[in-house]
Amino acid sequence: MFSRRDGLPHWPLHVLLVLFTLFALYPILWVITIAFSGRQSLAITTLPESPTALERVRAIVPWPETWSASNFTSVMTEQPFGHWLFNSAVISLGTTVVGVFLACTAAYAFSRFKFVGQRTGMMAFLVSQMFPGTLMLIPLYIILVQWLGLGSSRLGLMIVYATTSIPFSVWMLKGYFDTIPKDLEEAALMEGASVGKIFWTIILPLAKPAVAVTALFSFMTAWNEFILAATFMDQEAMYTAPVGLRFFVGGYSQQWGYFAAGSIIVSIPVVFLFLFLQKYLVSGLTAGSVKG
Amino acid sequence: MRNVVPQPPSSEPGNPAALLTDTSGLNGVPGSGEPSGGAGALYRGRVLVGLLLSLGAALFIAQGLLAKALDSVSTERADRQSFVSLRALEDLVQRAGGSGDAVRAVVDTWKTQLPAGSAVRVVAFSGIRLEASTFPEDVGERVAPRRLSREEKPLYDRGQRLRAAVETNREEGGARKLEVEAEALPGGGRLLSAPVEVEGSVVGMVELATAPLAAPLEPSLPTLLLCWLLPLALCAVASFVARRQGVLVAVSVVALVVGLGAYGSYSLGTLGAEVRGTQTLVAEQVRAMSERAQAVMAERQLATEPALRPGDWDADAYRRPLGLVSPEGQVNESVVSARMEELRSGVGRAMTGLGAVALVVLLFIGLGGVHRTAATVVENRTAYAYIAPAMVGMLVLVFFPFFYGIALSFTDSTLYNAGQPFMNLWVGLRNYVEILGDFNIVKRAQDGSLVFNYLNFYYTLFFTVVWTITNVVLGVTLGLVLALILNVDKLAFRPIYRVLLILPWAMPNYITALIWKGMFHQQFGVVNHIIRMFGGQGLSWYDTPFTSFLTVLATNGWLSFPFMMVVSLGALQSIPMELYEAARVDGASRWQQFTAITLPALKPALVPAVILSVVWTFNQFNVIFLVTEGEPSHSTEILITQAYKYAFQLYRHGYAAAYSTIIFGILLLYSMVQNRVSRATEAA
Repeated sequence: MFSRRDGLPHWPLHVLLVLFTLFALYPILWVITIAFSGRQSLAITTLPESPTALERVRAIVPWPETWSASNFTSVMTEQPFGHWLFNSAVISLGTTVVGVFLACTAAYAFSRFKFVGQRTGMMAFLVSQMFPGTLMLIPLYIILVQWLGLGSSRLGLMIVYATTSIPFSVWMLKGYFDTIPKDLEEAALMEGASVGKIFWTIILPLAKPAVAVTALFSFMTAWNEFILAATFMDQEAMYTAPVGLRFFVGGYSQQWGYFAAGSIIVSIPVVFLFLFLQKYLVSGLTAGSVKG
Repeated sequence: MRNVVPQPPSSEPGNPAALLTDTSGLNGVPGSGEPSGGAGALYRGRVLVGLLLSLGAALFIAQGLLAKALDSVSTERADRQSFVSLRALEDLVQRAGGSGDAVRAVVDTWKTQLPAGSAVRVVAFSGIRLEASTFPEDVGERVAPRRLSREEKPLYDRGQRLRAAVETNREEGGARKLEVEAEALPGGGRLLSAPVEVEGSVVGMVELATAPLAAPLEPSLPTLLLCWLLPLALCAVASFVARRQGVLVAVSVVALVVGLGAYGSYSLGTLGAEVRGTQTLVAEQVRAMSERAQAVMAERQLATEPALRPGDWDADAYRRPLGLVSPEGQVNESVVSARMEELRSGVGRAMTGLGAVALVVLLFIGLGGVHRTAATVVENRTAYAYIAPAMVGMLVLVFFPFFYGIALSFTDSTLYNAGQPFMNLWVGLRNYVEILGDFNIVKRAQDGSLVFNYLNFYYTLFFTVVWTITNVVLGVTLGLVLALILNVDKLAFRPIYRVLLILPWAMPNYITALIWKGMFHQQFGVVNHIIRMFGGQGLSWYDTPFTSFLTVLATNGWLSFPFMMVVSLGALQSIPMELYEAARVDGASRWQQFTAITLPALKPALVPAVILSVVWTFNQFNVIFLVTEGEPSHSTEILITQAYKYAFQLYRHGYAAAYSTIIFGILLLYSMVQNRVSRATEAA
C-alpha cells in the first residue's frame, strides 16, 4: 500500500478518498447552496415541527430547495459589495505594481552586485518576516492614521501591502535571477549597454515567469488580507471585500445569503490563480525555509 | 555611466572587505603613522568640518528647545497671572451667590479693573443662562442676562465638563481631572474657564479672555553664534599647532564640550530668570487682586466670611496649591529654589544627551567615517540605487514600526494619550512585569472547583502551544495519509481527487473561517443538524472551552491538510521505484519498505513544511479571531489574538506592544532552537 507497485484492490482506497473528498468539499458545497438558495438563512431547508428521517437527511444535503440567483444580483446591486470589490481590486492591483517593481530592482541588485551591506540586507528581509503582526500593527496604525492621515484610504493600505510583500518577493526573485547566466549581461556590456538597459531589456524579459508568479502572489496576498484592512478601514464605503464579507455576518447582522454569494464572487479568481500557482508556491516556500 | 560593471558574485575586486581597507588606507586613518602633508590637510579639514557640523547641529537643536521652553514659560506666566484674577473674580461671584443681580454688579465693578482687550463672562447652569458678560460681542440683542443660544453649546459643554471634573475629583478624593481649562484664542490671547461652587455644588462657570500675549522671549542669536564660532576658531588655531591627528581630535572634543556647556549655562540662566520673574509677577498680581477684591467686597457689601485667602489662587489647573507664593503674596524662596534645581537637572540632561549625539557625529566625521561611507556609496552606487526604493519602504514601514513598537512597550500609551511624548508615558518594565509576573492562573472557587483565569498570559501561552501542536499533528497525519493513498500506482481519477482535495487551501482563509463559524451555529448550523439527525441534541459549541476548541481545530485542520498533502506527495513521487523493487527482491516487508525508504525520503520535504506550519499555526489569527472570537470568556484566545484585543478593543497600546514583543521573543527563541536542531540533524 505504501509503494506504487502494489497489486492490492483499489476500491477500499476509493471509498476512503471519496469520503474524505466529500468532507473537504462539504463546506464549499454548503456555501454554494446557501448562495443559490435565494434566502438569508443559514439552514438549507426549513425543518417542520417533527421532522421525519428523510427530512432530516434533506436538511444537510447541500442542494437548495429552489434555485435562485437573487443573492448574487442583490449583493451586487442593493448592497455596497460591488464598491468593496472595486476597493479590493484597486488596492490589490496597486500593491502588485508597486510591490513587484520594488522587489525586482532590489532582487536584481542583491543577485548581481557585491556591496557592503548585502548580506545584512538579505538577513534583515528574512528576519522581518518574523515580526508578529500585532507588534507592527499599532505603530503602523499610529504612523498611517495619526501621522499621515491615511486611515480609511486605499493608498495607505496599498503602501503597507506593497512593502510587507517585498521580503518574500525578493527572496523568490533573487533565486530566479541567480539562475540567469551572467554571460548575457557581460556581452551586452561589451556592446555598451547601460545597467538600466540590461535590466529592462535582458533580465526582466528572461525572468518573466518568475516575475509573473511573484506578481500573482502579491495580488493574492493583498486580495485575501483581512486584519490590516479591518483595522485601517473604518468607513463602510472604504471596506475591502474581506472586511465587507465579515460585515454581512458579524455582530448582529446575519445575512448569510449575501455572505455566501459574496464569498463565491471573491473566491473564484483566487481559487483559479491558486490552482495554477500552487506548484511554484510549494517549491518557493520549502526552498526558502531550507535556506533560512 | 561609469563604474557600473555588474560584478559576478565571486569576483575579488567587489569584495566589500577589500573595498573598506582600500579607501581607509587612502585617507589615512589614525594609526597609519605620521600623515604626509596632503593627508594632514585632509584630516585637519575633516575635524574642523566635523566640529562645525556637530556643534552647529547640537546648538541648533538646543536653541529650538530653549525657544520652546521660553514659549511655554511665557504661556504659563500669562495663564497664572490671568488665573489669579480669574480666581479672585470667582471668589467674588461665589460670594454673590453665583447668579442674579449681585453677580452682574460684581462683574460691572470688576470690569474697570481689566487690562484692555480682556473680557470676562459668567454662565449659570440653572436655566442655562449667560449671567454677565463683558465680551465685545455680547451687546445690543445679545446683552446679558439671557439664555445661551444654540451656537453657544460648546460653552455649556465646557461648563458641564468642569462640573463633572470637580465632582469626580471630589468623589475620588484626588486630582485626576482638570478643574480649570485653558485654551488659545484665535487672536493670540488665552481663554481660561473655572467652575463656580456655591455651598458645595457647581452652579456655574466664570471665564476670562486675556489680551493677546506679549511675544515670548527669543533666545539670543549672538550667544548662539558665539558658542558656535569661538570653539571653532580655537580648534582652527589648534589645528596649525597640533601635529598629530589624535591631539587635534581631542582638542575638537574639548571645543565641542565647551561650546555646548557655554550654551547650556546661557539657556539655564535665561530660563531661570524667566521662571523667577514669573513668580515675582504672579506674587504682585496676587497682592493687587487681593486688594481689589477686598475693595469690591466692601463696596458691594458681600459676605467677608470665609476670609479671602489669596494664597489659594496660586494653584495649578487641578487646583492643587503650588506653594510658590505665600498667602501674604510673597515669593516662597525655598519652593522656587527646588523648582530651579529641577530645571537645572532637566537642562543638564538635555545637554548631555545632545552632547553625546554630537560627539558621535564629530568622531564619525573627524575620523573619516563619512569619507569612507561616501566612498562605499559611490563605489556601489548602481547597486544602492536599485535597492534604495525597497529599502526606504522597508525602513519606514517595517523596521521603524518594529522599533517604535518595542519602544511603545515601555510606556503606558493608550488611545487617549497617544499625542503625548514618550518620556511622559515611560513606565520602564512595568508592562512586562505585569504580563510575565502574573501567576494567577488557577484559583479554587467556593464549591471547590477549579477556575481558570483565561486572561492570564501563561494560560494563553499554554493554549497557544496546545493549539499549535494539535493542529500540526492533525495536519501532518491527514496530509501524509492522503498523500500515501494518492501515491498508489495506477489509481483511477487521481488528478481529480488531487485538485478537489487542494480546494480548501485555495479558498481565502477568512472565508473558510466564517463558513465554519456558520456551520457550528447552535440553531441553524449544519453540524448540529447532523447530530440531530442521529437523534442527539445540538450543542452550543461556543459555550465551553473544549467544544469551542474543537470548532477551531476542525476549521484549521480542514484548512491545513492540503499543504501537507501536496508537500508529501511531491516528495513521494520523487522516490525512484527501483528502490522498492530492490527492497522487494531482498525480501523486505511492506512496513520495512515504509520505514527504510519512504520515511527517509519524506524527511527533507516534511521537516521544512512542519517548521513553516508551526509558525503559521502559532500566528493563525484569522481562524481564532473569526470563529470563536475567544469565546467563552477568552478561553480560546491565542497570543496573537489576545495582543490584538489589548491593542484595538481595550486600546492599551503600550501593554499590547509589550505583549507582542514577548510573542516576538518566543518566535525568535523557537527559530534559534529550530535552526540549531536542523543543523544538528543535517550534520548527522
